[in-house]
Amino acid sequence: MVEIVIDEDACVGCGSCVEDCPNDVYEMDEAKNKTKVVKVEDCMACLSCHEICPAQAMEHQDIHVAKRLYIDRSVKDAINRII
Amino acid sequence: MNGEIEEIRGTFKPELIPAATGGNIDDYEKALHTLMKFVGSMSSALEQVSGRGANAIVYQAGKRMGHEASKLMEKTDDLEKAMGELSEVLGQEFYFEMWKPSSQDNYTVERGDETEVKLLFMDCVVRQTLRRTGLPQKGPLCYLLYGYMVGAVEEVMDIRGKLDIDHVGPNACLKTLTIKWSGK
Repeated sequence: MVEIVIDEDACVGCGSCVEDCPNDVYEMDEAKNKTKVVKVEDCMACLSCHEICPAQAMEHQDIHVAKRLYIDRSVKDAINRII
Repeated sequence: MNGEIEEIRGTFKPELIPAATGGNIDDYEKALHTLMKFVGSMSSALEQVSGRGANAIVYQAGKRMGHEASKLMEKTDDLEKAMGELSEVLGQEFYFEMWKPSSQDNYTVERGDETEVKLLFMDCVVRQTLRRTGLPQKGPLCYLLYGYMVGAVEEVMDIRGKLDIDHVGPNACLKTLTIKWSGK
């Protein structure tokens, strides 16, 4: 089961994820001016929201992570050493 | 190797393939990335020259591949069984599953003489190629998978089908496969 964690400190409340999600997984919390997850069961883990989020404020847990063979292994190794 | 090109020298006989020509994973990685660039450039040039006709050309190529790849598969009228067989045909490089929104009870939806099923493509070499070349998704190259899927469905179910792209993302793409029963 997919779980989406929103980092409220990072979220800038731009609403890009709300607009971009084809399955209306997100809604704006008007009081906090932050995004909130309302239909996690409809999330298909396409990760369009990750790509559009300017603050990288979300994390998807327990999803199928697609292969990324287009990234050089040397680049992946370098990133892994830094993070 | 420090960027130098290592030459393979040895004896070559028609009946033997020298082990050294197998290469290592670095060689495969470089070859894959070069191929991705070639295919991406080809797709982009095709679009520039032929406009929307590029989609039809790539679709046709994919469809032919789909027919070829599933020639030996067991024929069936059962859409869900066919999806299982197609999953084998497409393999790990086009790993997909049937998908439905939580408000829907079944994976298949009947509309008159048509049946629809939503397919979530999680692993896709086309998407990876586009990302390597910096090209947008939903372009001509995506029609390769479109054609491939339709060709495979037509071969396995002996029926007409079409695949529409609902949504594309960096980790998965949602497509709707429509089967027209009267097209048999």
